[in-house]
Amino acid sequence: MKKLINTPETLVPEMCEGIVKANPCLEFLPKYKVVKRKELNPDKVTLISGGGSGHEPAHAGFVGYGMLDAAVCGDVFASPSSVQVYNAIKSVKSKKGTLLIVKNYSGDCMNFDTAKEDAKDDGLDVDSVYVNDDVAVKDSLYTIGRRGVAGTVFVHKIAGAAAEEGKSLAEVKAVAEKTIVNVKSIGFALTSCTVPAKGTPTFSIGDNEIEYGVGIHGEPGIARQPVQTADVLAEKMTAALLAELKISGGAEIAVMVNGFGATPLQELYLFYNSVTKYLPEAVKVYKVLVGNYMTSIDMAGASLTFLKLDGELKKYLDAETKAPAFK
Amino acid sequence: MSNFTLTDVEKIISVMTDVILKNEVPFCELDSAAGDGDFGMSLAKGFRELKKEWANLERGDIGAFIKSCGGVIAEHCGGASGPIWGGGFKAAGRYAAEKTSLSLSELAETLGAAADGIMKRGGAKPGDKTLLDALVPAVDALKASAAAGDDVKTFLKKGADAAAAGGEATKNMVASRGRASYVGERSISYPDAGAAALGIIFTEIANAF
Repeated sequence: MKKLINTPETLVPEMCEGIVKANPCLEFLPKYKVVKRKELNPDKVTLISGGGSGHEPAHAGFVGYGMLDAAVCGDVFASPSSVQVYNAIKSVKSKKGTLLIVKNYSGDCMNFDTAKEDAKDDGLDVDSVYVNDDVAVKDSLYTIGRRGVAGTVFVHKIAGAAAEEGKSLAEVKAVAEKTIVNVKSIGFALTSCTVPAKGTPTFSIGDNEIEYGVGIHGEPGIARQPVQTADVLAEKMTAALLAELKISGGAEIAVMVNGFGATPLQELYLFYNSVTKYLPEAVKVYKVLVGNYMTSIDMAGASLTFLKLDGELKKYLDAETKAPAFK
Repeated sequence: MSNFTLTDVEKIISVMTDVILKNEVPFCELDSAAGDGDFGMSLAKGFRELKKEWANLERGDIGAFIKSCGGVIAEHCGGASGPIWGGGFKAAGRYAAEKTSLSLSELAETLGAAADGIMKRGGAKPGDKTLLDALVPAVDALKASAAAGDDVKTFLKKGADAAAAGGEATKNMVASRGRASYVGERSISYPDAGAAALGIIFTEIANAF
């Protein structure tokens, strides 16, 4: 393992210190590993997200005017504890309440739910939504449902804009849930990621193989397959997302091509070009994001996200944000 | 010895802590096949903190001791392991509240309370390919052994064997909870990391008595 670090144990706090030093509108609470806005508006709903580290710029990079108020940082790929989340809730207390935006993973759900109950016991107004945009895994009664991946960034953006507009907690939750229903993603990996504390790749994969449907922690997806061209992957992924969103005629969508950390921008832009070849003419692209938004440390690969838009979602997607990583 | 004192319970948890710290990397490897490879690390993080806090834990009675272990574990284990293992300890602590010694059947019940607490917290049940598939058979074996009037060594050995067999049996199951559930049938042929780890932990505890 070759990494630009000091020690694996101090990676997360040192990274958080770097984020806030680079972005003076943010501050870091080291005891509970919370990155928050320095100045809070007590008259708006506050938004908290977070989860394991290793997905940078998610989630601390999305803290700022127009998006989140705080991000709770767990260890690499491990949910923060309920004590951390509870203290994050207290740190951004608002008259209008707090919404937790949780990616649908067992650990995150249990810790955020426990923190929510503890905060409610203290008389705080807290609610939560669970993002489950990854279509790679089955959604059935027999699993805990789909994973939350890059589509979470759209939920941060849209709920953040609604909160900034002064909407109530119930209204912000409703628009967050509308976003969740309309956002779908799928990804693939060319290489494994390496968790610093472990020091070796999470999974082994041949030079001529890809993992199709991979999760953002390097967990397996749909199938191990031979390497394919960008066009072949784009055609398959575009079709899968359009089918999941039940888009058969016209629609307006936002598109995100998200790198997993080790794929160069040239390949991400090339991949977006491939995607445009397979979008039906009646599907209009309203907004495009290409870059690293929800990474998997140093994994090579990418995910594709479509968000089906209406007038309300378009308005909030366009609203101003000063979060450092939303560009 | 026919009763477990606070000192014995401390020994059980201390052995457990050492096994978890010693197996940090192997437990991660168990989790890499179908999960995301961080299980050993997350678990070790909480138990490393427990070891650090060892002298400061509450020791008023057995329940208070187990509960205060649970507090440290819940706060410091990463990921899902915090609520699951911490929740299990806290539930066990509630059962053993104000007790200064545990009969063999009470020890079995204490562990049963942990299993119930974990089921409540995580929403899983036996057969879902989780650590419950090692824990629940171990509880059943311990209860049966206590009822049969076995001595302590036999009692612990039967519990450990049931946990190890339960862990092994998860190889044939399809995961329906936790991260391994995302891969469904591709999780077959790999044991559940938590269940396999419990088999190892219980075996070492039995060897220590």
